[in-house]
Amino acid sequence: MKESEDTQMKTPVVLIVAIISQAIGNVFITKAMKLITSPVAGGDDLVSTVARAVTNPTLWLGTALLIIFFVLYSAALSWADLSFVLPATAFGYVLNVAAGHYFLSESVTPARWAGSLIITLGVFLVSRSGVRTIDTPQEIS
Amino acid sequence: MMTALMIAIVVLGGSAGDVFITKGMKQIGEISTINLHQLLWIALRVLSNKNFIIGIVFMACSFFAFLSVLSWADLSFVLPATSLSFVITTAGAKFVLHERISRVRLAGTVLVCLGVALISLP
Repeated sequence: MKESEDTQMKTPVVLIVAIISQAIGNVFITKAMKLITSPVAGGDDLVSTVARAVTNPTLWLGTALLIIFFVLYSAALSWADLSFVLPATAFGYVLNVAAGHYFLSESVTPARWAGSLIITLGVFLVSRSGVRTIDTPQEIS
Repeated sequence: MMTALMIAIVVLGGSAGDVFITKGMKQIGEISTINLHQLLWIALRVLSNKNFIIGIVFMACSFFAFLSVLSWADLSFVLPATSLSFVITTAGAKFVLHERISRVRLAGTVLVCLGVALISLP
């Protein structure tokens, strides 16, 4: 297993930006969807709900952030193991719980805080296991 | 029975999607440029990569199975069940992509799986 310093540096940066984009994106999308489907927003038929959705800037912003997440996630997979990237990005669940608590005033049960703690421990272990275990890139077929 | 089948599609579709996307991205090769022109060129190659496209199709199937199972099953049952995908995707990474899963990484992944299940409970 040989990792360049470049790879060691950029993996955490790319994944941290990805996870933060995902957490903020989810908060925006939740906020927008709750607003779009609330009774005070207007008619609850499909056409007017969709019309409100596509004209909602918060929903677009949230979607853009989730696209940024997916692009960075895919980019990380171009050099890092899937078995590293996938559990590492699970830290996003912890951020989502915290963001839901602080920005959307969702109540967080003790089981959820416990789950967050266990995920954090798991991500810590995975992060100790190296970014890449396959040396040679696969040939382009 | 139908619920179990749909959850299997959600989990297996998501895992297969991740494995194919990784296969495609490894074919593209390590992205190490921040030059916009080169990044656009890479994006074009990614979007026309066969494995990447197959991966996206699997993920779309998984997502639509997820939406449809939620039309009759409880989210608090479906979401913890989908945390299984962490272990199944890791198995895919080992047997299909030949990544080496050390004990530490396996232990961490199992903890993540447990934690996600715990978070998803009502």
